[in-house]
Amino acid sequence: MIVYFQTHEVLVQGTCIALVLALSIQVPMRMGVFSFAGAGCYGISAYLSAILVLERGFSPFAAIATSVVTTAAVGLVLGVIIQRLTGLYLAMVTFAFDLIIGVLVINGGNRTGGSTGLFGVITNFTTWHMLVLAAAAVTCAAVSELGRAGRRVEAVREDPELASSMGINVSRYRLVAFTASGALGGLAGAMTVMIRTTIAPRDIGFNLIVLGLTIIVVGGTRSWKGAVLGAVIITWLPSALTSIGEWNTLVYGVMTVIASIFLPRGLYGLWLSGVRWWQRHRRAPAPAPALPDDAPDATSRLALASPGSPGAAAIELGEGVK
Amino acid sequence: MSTAVPSAATQPAGPMPTILELRDVAVHFGGVKAVDGVSMALAPGLIYGIIGPNGSGKSTLIAAITRLIKATRGDLILDGQPYSRLSPSILADRGVARTFQTVRLLSELTVRANIQLGADARAGRRRDREAVTQAIRATRLEGYEEFYPNELSYGTQRRVEIARALAMGPRLLLLDEPTAGMNQAERAEISALLRDLRADGLGQLLVEHDVQMMVDTCDYVFAMNAGQLIAQGPPADVVRDPLVQEAYLGRRWRNDA
Repeated sequence: MIVYFQTHEVLVQGTCIALVLALSIQVPMRMGVFSFAGAGCYGISAYLSAILVLERGFSPFAAIATSVVTTAAVGLVLGVIIQRLTGLYLAMVTFAFDLIIGVLVINGGNRTGGSTGLFGVITNFTTWHMLVLAAAAVTCAAVSELGRAGRRVEAVREDPELASSMGINVSRYRLVAFTASGALGGLAGAMTVMIRTTIAPRDIGFNLIVLGLTIIVVGGTRSWKGAVLGAVIITWLPSALTSIGEWNTLVYGVMTVIASIFLPRGLYGLWLSGVRWWQRHRRAPAPAPALPDDAPDATSRLALASPGSPGAAAIELGEGVK
Repeated sequence: MSTAVPSAATQPAGPMPTILELRDVAVHFGGVKAVDGVSMALAPGLIYGIIGPNGSGKSTLIAAITRLIKATRGDLILDGQPYSRLSPSILADRGVARTFQTVRLLSELTVRANIQLGADARAGRRRDREAVTQAIRATRLEGYEEFYPNELSYGTQRRVEIARALAMGPRLLLLDEPTAGMNQAERAEISALLRDLRADGLGQLLVEHDVQMMVDTCDYVFAMNAGQLIAQGPPADVVRDPLVQEAYLGRRWRNDA
């Protein structure tokens, strides 16, 4: 077991990073916010934590904590600015935000190392630390799916108008979504630098969005279980398929396409449909609709207005007007 | 249980306490005056109805009352306090619940979870559970708790909507066409349910264009046409009002009669 873990340590690390990154897109998506800002925050946090360790001598945990708080704040501010946008427009703006971060770090001079990036971020941060932090992130995401919070998140996504009539402050939930997205993206970015010791502009680009989206498309968009499933598959599949050489990218691509066409809610959605089907077959049939004893019957209805009166005509015809 | 034919004594008059008051409320969409200067005052614990043909502004008025649409002018007053500028979510805290014209249940949640969503608006877990149980009992949904909305008949889905609103523990319930698309038996059932709730002291404002349903259910009726109130009073009187009959049936019918 220990030997297996050691030989696969890089994959475990990759899974943790990919998982937290995927959550940074999935958590807001569950609240109806289609935002890629988590990927940009990944970049901000990766650079910020590297600079804090290199220039200020921060411990890895202090650097991670500072970066996560910063990116959460960035997420919140971004949310305040663009919270009125929805759907594709919102996605495009957050995508632009990610590109801006990429341009900034390339042009950051010595501080960000230009297109070479930063290296030599050597700390005592280990894979075990990473597993604990990733588990904490997953726990937070899981709690937001349970009970009252879960129902309210569901309402905010599916029907914001209904949600507000249920006393839910929808815009506050959306701001929480942006903030959580920033914090999760930041956590993924900072952990990456602490474990990989380097960060360069090519590590924080478009491919992060593709990675995060692929994971939740394959795994499932509605639950942390989908993100875990997707992260494990997307990270471990390429190495499991090394025996077929360069064909592995084909398998990977075909799988993603099949998932997005036939499993709109991902593998976890498929599992959930199976569970629902099983529940339907096990439980008691629907009770017969019982008419209340005091329902007025047809004769008492007609007796309300005397026949021939204009009122009666209005009543009868009024129904027909529908 | 209230009788279907209301007495004059149920009419709100003068200094009676009001739960909801509208003063000269208007909603204009560009040049279209969907609601144009409506004033009404609702006393607690009665069933009020708004009737009117399609497009007369009933649903827009409900949307304005619940703050989902901004009123162009006028004051909305709840318990004597204006709320025209407040967020729609505060209405739930102040005891106003609503149902929508179309069924709006969350398809991923069971009937029980959908109703719990209403109870979530209250404080205190213990009372939540009681509120859910009571709402299920009041709407006769026992046995449906673990079903998903798409497995239910239309009428049952509408009862789940009402149950969800009841679980919020409202003092005033706004119902936007609760019987739309229902058959006679289902309508009678909803009408009986609403009168049961009134007997328990729950005030309601009901929007319908089914006049029979309103006569059966309401204590007091407002009639709307083209965004304005054209009549109000006990339902039997309002449906006999010439202006109301004209709005529903057209001028020619009235002249022929």
